[in-house]
Amino acid sequence: MNNKQLSALLAIPALMMAFAVQAHSEKEHMEKAENPDCATMNAMDHSKMDMSDPVVMAMMQQCMNTMQQGTAEVENTPHGHGEHMTGAGKASDHMQQAPSQ
Amino acid sequence: MSILSKGACFKRLLVMSGAAIGTVAIGGVAFLYSGLYSMGADDPHYDVTTWALETLRENSIARASQSIEVPSDLNSAERLLKGGADYNDMCAGCHLKPDKSENDFTLGLYPAPPNLATIHRTGEDEKSEDQRNFWIIKHGIKASGMPAWAPGHDDKRIWNMVSFLKRLPDLTPTQYQILTARGKNDAAHH
Repeated sequence: MNNKQLSALLAIPALMMAFAVQAHSEKEHMEKAENPDCATMNAMDHSKMDMSDPVVMAMMQQCMNTMQQGTAEVENTPHGHGEHMTGAGKASDHMQQAPSQ
Repeated sequence: MSILSKGACFKRLLVMSGAAIGTVAIGGVAFLYSGLYSMGADDPHYDVTTWALETLRENSIARASQSIEVPSDLNSAERLLKGGADYNDMCAGCHLKPDKSENDFTLGLYPAPPNLATIHRTGEDEKSEDQRNFWIIKHGIKASGMPAWAPGHDDKRIWNMVSFLKRLPDLTPTQYQILTARGKNDAAHH
């Protein structure tokens, strides 16, 4: 086996290994990204939550869009404040429509 | 006369020590080549081997991580969210999550990966634990199945995971799901 063949034999696995350990970005995970289940968040008793707790703050941050959207839809609906207008109900509807995976 | 006998005695002792060391060394090498030691992950080490390896591991990590500087904002919501998503993608397969107690990896890997969703912090030395977790995530642990994540992840991203680990044992399955989901629950879904 000459040097060129030997170099190729060593270089190909080395290249494959290098590609395998390349930095992987968060975007790579987005294709199969799961959505946060904010319906359960809305169903929680917010009065018992410690709003200064980083976990609660992170959950609020994660579900902020859903909660804002729920509020906006309540305000824009012409049918008053019926039972289907609660935040939990709207969030549940939202979650049923949204893909879970 | 007595000096001579003392010298001869010392010489004899040296020879015997050398012979003993040589025998142990040859025996050790012979053992390595014999193939007698079981390398199966389903065949645990002897207790003394486990003790030796764990002592070696813990002291090595403690020494290597003692000078690592811990960021002051480890308890931020942003770090929790970023670290949570990475934990779910990279770690939960072996180290589990709140509603799981075992899977094929925890049953089959040896040593079994610790269930990080149930290990509560002692609170005795929080800084050392943060340093330890950072070092382990960054560098991995030899022959344990724990990879080094440094090649593809910068320090900030690793600290985010350390941040998430601090709160993981307290999380309910619902909290875990919300914190670790990468998807955006926004109007774009409609």
